[in-house]
Amino acid sequence: MDFTADDLSPKAAQILDAASTCIGRVGLAKTTLDDVAREARCARATVYRCFANKQQLLAALVVREADALRAAVVAAAQPTATLADAVTAVVTTSVDFLGTNAPLTFVCAHEPELLLPYLAFEREDAVLRTAAVLVAPAFLRFLTASEATRLGEWIARITLSYLFSPSEHFDIADAQHVRALVDDFVVPGFVDSEGVSR
Amino acid sequence: MATTGDARDPGDPLSLHDRLLAATYGCVERFGLGKTTIDDIAKESGVSRATIYRQFPGGRDELLLETVGWEIANYFNRLADQVRDAPTLAELLRGGLSFAHRSISEHVLLRKILQTEPERLLPLLTTESAKTLPFIADFLLPYLRREAENGRLRPGVDIDRASEYLARSILSLIGAPGRWNLDDPDQVADLVDVELLGGITAPT
Repeated sequence: MDFTADDLSPKAAQILDAASTCIGRVGLAKTTLDDVAREARCARATVYRCFANKQQLLAALVVREADALRAAVVAAAQPTATLADAVTAVVTTSVDFLGTNAPLTFVCAHEPELLLPYLAFEREDAVLRTAAVLVAPAFLRFLTASEATRLGEWIARITLSYLFSPSEHFDIADAQHVRALVDDFVVPGFVDSEGVSR
Repeated sequence: MATTGDARDPGDPLSLHDRLLAATYGCVERFGLGKTTIDDIAKESGVSRATIYRQFPGGRDELLLETVGWEIANYFNRLADQVRDAPTLAELLRGGLSFAHRSISEHVLLRKILQTEPERLLPLLTTESAKTLPFIADFLLPYLRREAENGRLRPGVDIDRASEYLARSILSLIGAPGRWNLDDPDQVADLVDVELLGGITAPT
């Protein structure tokens, strides 16, 4: 990732907020840089000084949201005592974050064709790798860096599977359901019954 | 999902319906999704346009969508045939992941879906995965039962839940291997032992 949200100027951050509002309201296709400027109450020229085009603005928005997700999962895992607790916290926090993200939920509901290419084949690989690196810091107290990344990718995979192919008997937003899945199927491969990394 | 086997096997008497799907598949491989027309399909199958429209009132769009669904079913039937004699669940999963990965990398039609008409056909992959998950889970159940009978499962494993977990894992890995190189047997074995079976089979 090129930069983090900390590197954004206050003006750029304000423009990203405006973009997020616009996309959450009318979607990705219909949002123009003019709309974003109006929403941010700044001149078009200011938007163009921060972001050369819509593509660049979107990329910056994705980076910022990803950064916010990383901060949220690390904070959620912070007070946990075991790897199973940490994994459960990361999954439920991510699902909540994604489900309450206005631009993302608008695109999922009304413009899924823009999202689906990222959820299959090579572009899903990139999503999974990014997600793995994003959530891995939450597991560093329990696992080595490489094992943490490996587990990060695995839970990103399982979470995406349940988000996009929901199950009748399993609710990925329900902490108890997630905890049972984590205890029974995910964590045993990574740590033994004493909680020691394999 | 219908277990039709490979319906394009020569000598296998095909229904008109399947013959049209096979012809559409052939056209898509050659011309791409965007350029395949009803006339191409009529020529390829030797069936008149009028008969095609009687079978598929939705015309070209309906035929293309059904063909993709049909080929996905064929793909998973071939996968099932490939692995059904594996001696253990672990070997079945290893062999299955390797074969599935190899055959999807070489799969012309599924690749073309992405390159030419993703917006129309990708939603189909979502609905197909809803059909494919129970197909894989049902396929795995007898193997899980056999592992249980041979005392190779961890105590208390619920085989219905285990089969769903494995089905999701497999489908996800086929669609996107992520950081895994599924052409490398050592990596596949590691993945199967830790991520897939870590909570299911008893440590040896």
